[in-house]
Amino acid sequence: MATLDITGLSKRYGSTVGIDAVDLDIDDGEFFVLLGPSGAGKTTTLKSIAGLIEVDAGSVTIGGRDMSGVEPYERNVAMAFESYALYPQKSVLDNLASPLRSGRTGRYDDAEQRRRVDAVTGTLGISHLLDRLPKELSNGQRQRVALGRVLVRPADVYLLDEPLSHLDAKLRSAMRAELKQLGAVSQTTSVYVTHDYQEALALGDRVGVLRDGRIVQVGAPEQVWNAPADTFVAKAFGQPEITLLDAVVDDGRIHGADGAVDVAVPPGLAVTSGQRVRLGLRPRDVAVAGAGAPPDAAAVAGPDADPVAGPGAGRSAPGELRMRGRVGLVERLGRLVEVSVDVGGSTPVIVVTSAERAAGEGEPVELSVPNHQVHVFQAGASGEETPRIGSLAGATDEEDRA
Amino acid sequence: MATTLMPGQKRFTPSAILADLTLLAWFVFSLFPIVWLVLLALKTDAEQTTTYFSFSPTLDNFGTVLSDRGEELTSVDFPTALLTSVLNCAGAVLVSLVVGIPAAYAAGRWRFRGSNDLMFTILSFRFAPELMVIVPLFVIYNQIGLFDTTVGMIWVLQLVTMPLVVWILRSYFQDLPEDLEHAALLDGYTRRRAFVMVALPLVRPGIAAATLLAFIFAWNNYIFPLVLSESEASTVTVAITKFLGGGGQAYYNLTAAAAVIAALPPLVLALTIQRYLVRGLSFGAVKS
Repeated sequence: MATLDITGLSKRYGSTVGIDAVDLDIDDGEFFVLLGPSGAGKTTTLKSIAGLIEVDAGSVTIGGRDMSGVEPYERNVAMAFESYALYPQKSVLDNLASPLRSGRTGRYDDAEQRRRVDAVTGTLGISHLLDRLPKELSNGQRQRVALGRVLVRPADVYLLDEPLSHLDAKLRSAMRAELKQLGAVSQTTSVYVTHDYQEALALGDRVGVLRDGRIVQVGAPEQVWNAPADTFVAKAFGQPEITLLDAVVDDGRIHGADGAVDVAVPPGLAVTSGQRVRLGLRPRDVAVAGAGAPPDAAAVAGPDADPVAGPGAGRSAPGELRMRGRVGLVERLGRLVEVSVDVGGSTPVIVVTSAERAAGEGEPVELSVPNHQVHVFQAGASGEETPRIGSLAGATDEEDRA
Repeated sequence: MATTLMPGQKRFTPSAILADLTLLAWFVFSLFPIVWLVLLALKTDAEQTTTYFSFSPTLDNFGTVLSDRGEELTSVDFPTALLTSVLNCAGAVLVSLVVGIPAAYAAGRWRFRGSNDLMFTILSFRFAPELMVIVPLFVIYNQIGLFDTTVGMIWVLQLVTMPLVVWILRSYFQDLPEDLEHAALLDGYTRRRAFVMVALPLVRPGIAAATLLAFIFAWNNYIFPLVLSESEASTVTVAITKFLGGGGQAYYNLTAAAAVIAALPPLVLALTIQRYLVRGLSFGAVKS
């Protein structure tokens, strides 16, 4: 058990950036999740903490002790490798007992070794595999052995590199639920690397989002979910991805998506007239307010609207953004359906809704999103990630974030 | 068996028969020198220059080569030369392994300043013709007293074997996932213990292959012992040629018998360590 402080950690591989000035302060016993796409520097960060790679700059402090120049075997850190890294010539039992036999993780006699191995294999459901060699295991079993080799010993920090990625979906969610309950994990400072946002939200006391070797945002799961620092974080959380609609601020109103969006700038939102912005709508935040438009829809929407109840701005009730559009693709996901709604403009709005609420393809619909769930980002070129300004809830939203 | 049969495949198709015949022809062609050597070793002095396949075979030649009678004919003690060869080659291979394994590990694991140049230099020992360096070596060996000594022979033969060991094992170490040693480090083992516990057992097939190849190369070396030794450290490759006679009668049958005997130690070594020559020992270590 120890705190883990990382300051200005940088590592380049030739001309490519591994990680760039990463700062993290992780509390004693905290379960910290690092989320990012492949190549973002997650594993590099873990290996730097473990001392397995020489960093170019920055420091790692574990339990108040500066680890610069300290060999990996003296750091009292345990790591589950994404590649498992099981000793192929050793049985599962010997693999699991390996950290207990080195003499650097504590003194364990044979009975104590056996007791610890049994406890861990019982938890992970691999008790029946003790005599097998790694080559005789499935990938899921190997991954659990790799996890077991970490949990079998006490350590100051547990480093877990995608430890659930190769389990099948069912086992994965079961293990996810169990992992945090494990005594060892709940008491030990842990850094958990994943590219799965659901794992990050479910497991993390806090979540750090990495992109191209830089930390983009650190916060509690609800913080990064409710107030993503920029479009990258917003896109990283949620499947399907958040929809980003181009809009422009003009004369105290925000117009966008060829007239589908037309709302007043809420008080407290720091935008200026003429500024271009992007509105972010999470597919699950968008509700289908009504299948089909009222007969007078065209009149309400204004002269620009398609007379056959096409795209246009709906009547926005207080506290929510309304849009009207026409259903494009409908994709069934089981109980839910993913609907792509053309509201005008080049980007369709993706909606995930219950199957009963979904309209058929080609039908007109009206959509509504609560104001605090309409994220406002700065505008940028396509592919460019831009910071978040706030939400349509305006000043109240800023209070939420504080 | 020439080919592995798939279920339902017919054995005696014309193309299968043709393939087998071609292979058989190639087999006879490539094995013929060895067959001829063995036949020659079984012939008597009177028949040694005939090219008939029918003759009265005798094992006397082997006895002659290994006995005092051979020494009388050639002034070379063949059994001693055989032993000297074994000592020289084993010594050279041992030195190459002791020095070459850590060198190969370092070269395979880490890029350090000049690592490529160093590897190229080591390789260059292999493609520099031995005849190019033999004269200076002869002079040096005479001056520092290494001429015709076991130490001198081991030293010069490891020049042949070390590059083999380093280059073969380097690729084995490169193929070994670094995560395995990282895991050992985090388990609390020092770098040396991680190397001995994890890396070394997994390159055993490579060590076996390198040992065998290095031994064969050292064993077959002719120029170095010919020039750098006289009697004490002279090896079997030199001894064989003495049966061809220097001015007296040439004993082709005895030469062949000596060659057959000389081929046995590498053969025995190959049979002994072939069970280690299996690949895929690291299978299952990391996901591919």
